[in-house]
Amino acid sequence: MIKLQNVNKIYTINKNNTITALKNINLEIKQGELIILKGASGSGKSTILSLLAALSKPTTGEVIVDNKKLSKLPDNFAALYRRENIGFIFQKYNLITNLSVKENILLPLIPQNLEDKILEDKLNLVINRFNISHKKDILVRNLSGGEQQRVAIARAMVNDPKIIIADEPTANLDEKLSSDFCNVLKELKKLNKTIIVATHDPIFFNLDFVDKIIDINNGSLS
Amino acid sequence: MLKNKINLHLIQFAINSILRQKSKNTFIVIIFIILTFLLSSVFFITNSIKYELNLTVNSLPQILVQKVKAGKSYDIDISMIDDILAIDGVSNASSRVWGYYYFKNLDAYFTIMGLDMYEIQYKNTLSNIINNFDLEKTSQTQTMVVGAGVKRLLEKGYYLGNYFNFIKPNGTIKKMDIIGTFDSSTNLESNDLIIMSKQNARDIFLINENKATDIVVSVKNPEEISTISQKIQTLYPNTKIITNDDIKLSYETIFNYKSGIFLTLFIICLFTFFIIIYDKVSGLTGDEKKEIGILKAIGWTSDDILKEKFYEGFIVSFIAYIIGIIFALVFVYIFQAPLLRDIFEGYSTLKTTFELPFIIDFQTLALVFFLSVPIYIAATIIPSWRVATLEADEVLR
Repeated sequence: MIKLQNVNKIYTINKNNTITALKNINLEIKQGELIILKGASGSGKSTILSLLAALSKPTTGEVIVDNKKLSKLPDNFAALYRRENIGFIFQKYNLITNLSVKENILLPLIPQNLEDKILEDKLNLVINRFNISHKKDILVRNLSGGEQQRVAIARAMVNDPKIIIADEPTANLDEKLSSDFCNVLKELKKLNKTIIVATHDPIFFNLDFVDKIIDINNGSLS
Repeated sequence: MLKNKINLHLIQFAINSILRQKSKNTFIVIIFIILTFLLSSVFFITNSIKYELNLTVNSLPQILVQKVKAGKSYDIDISMIDDILAIDGVSNASSRVWGYYYFKNLDAYFTIMGLDMYEIQYKNTLSNIINNFDLEKTSQTQTMVVGAGVKRLLEKGYYLGNYFNFIKPNGTIKKMDIIGTFDSSTNLESNDLIIMSKQNARDIFLINENKATDIVVSVKNPEEISTISQKIQTLYPNTKIITNDDIKLSYETIFNYKSGIFLTLFIICLFTFFIIIYDKVSGLTGDEKKEIGILKAIGWTSDDILKEKFYEGFIVSFIAYIIGIIFALVFVYIFQAPLLRDIFEGYSTLKTTFELPFIIDFQTLALVFFLSVPIYIAATIIPSWRVATLEADEVLR
């Protein structure tokens, strides 16, 4: 269960300049739900995802995941929370482009110091699922946009997280690839993953497996 | 168990990171190697030469009395010996006849030492040589024993037979036969040496029977060296008294001066090294920051990131340090430090033929290590630490 309680987020640009990104947000997301956060650019969708992934902390209010208050977590514990619970698919994928597909996918597992065999198994599971096994030794910078996105999804899934967060996942994809991504979401939902997608792409609004579409406007929930 | 502590995947990632910035890291490694190489080469050379010279200085006379005229040492009266022996605490005093002979053909100097068999003031090196040859024969004939370096140089100067014609100060010639050669490959001070009887040495330098080059004084208690020196000075105000400590000091001064020449080379390297350090500490590139942001976002803790950066810095600097040290060892002890050695060595053509003794001082290795490796590691970690402790969202933004 994910809860946002009276969350406000204010970014300080400098002493006299602040931006209020979120205003008094209250939200509940149940385990296994697929939620679409809908809104224009700058509406605060990405800020909510950032708070849910413990990439940043709310200025006021609480972000609670499985009864754990993320806003109280010290930096290193927040990182451990991400490692164990979150698979984040970034808008621009955030891959390390001069590493290979395999190296990028295994990145989240490196600090865990796992046996080579376990790493190999986890890698094979995701590269086969997302159909990129034939590209595993290729440098990411040599892949197409769609392939890079599949690598990003595979990296987000490699540690088998409970929560998948995707920020504008189809912003850089054509219609066909966007549709493919929707199929991926469907598969993940079948695996009982909690999925939160921030987007303004209409392709997501008519999907029959989406549980809730939440409008965000100017930092507030509509 | 060990695998739990050392994360080989993290080390592998660090190596990959280094390789991903191949040209930048190659440049850093080269500068680092040159720095370590120069620094340790000089330490190795000075350690070896200091070791050799300390052996020499420690076996030098405790007090040396010279007569000075016009600021230069001049023949001294042997009769002074009796007065010096009368001073309390003096255990022995004897005259020496020695000097340098300039061999014009090859622009080299020989050291001629006149010895009498019964004299005991000679240092170990000479005692060893004396024991190996029948010096009594040289006292009766016009013969001499020469160092291997002298023999080599004479042959180079077309003296292929076993003799040498000395030109005396008055222009006449004195022919001396060589009856033996001693090898002193590891001994800095005896390589250019010619040993003959005092009588023959006097004849070559044109020194009278009642005169000598200097007087060597031994004292019973080394603590009294300075007091006895003062007494001799009072007794003979026109003399110059040189103690063992004075000689040590003059050697050290020469060394420090010569180290200064090297310093120029070293400063250039150090300057480049600190530009690298400054470049690293002054901040990360956009790509480097983004990479840290990505790692944080996918679950790396700040500790993981700093550990990885530590490995990066350590691998680069330690490999460069080891290569630099190995190059320096090979350069100094196998190739005998060409070029650098000339800066630190003596003036004589002959002196360049001695071998640098293999002296490894672990304090020196540690000093070079601590002057380079931790500084570089810190320079690698500090900027990453600044970024890694920010919120992941802020880094990625």
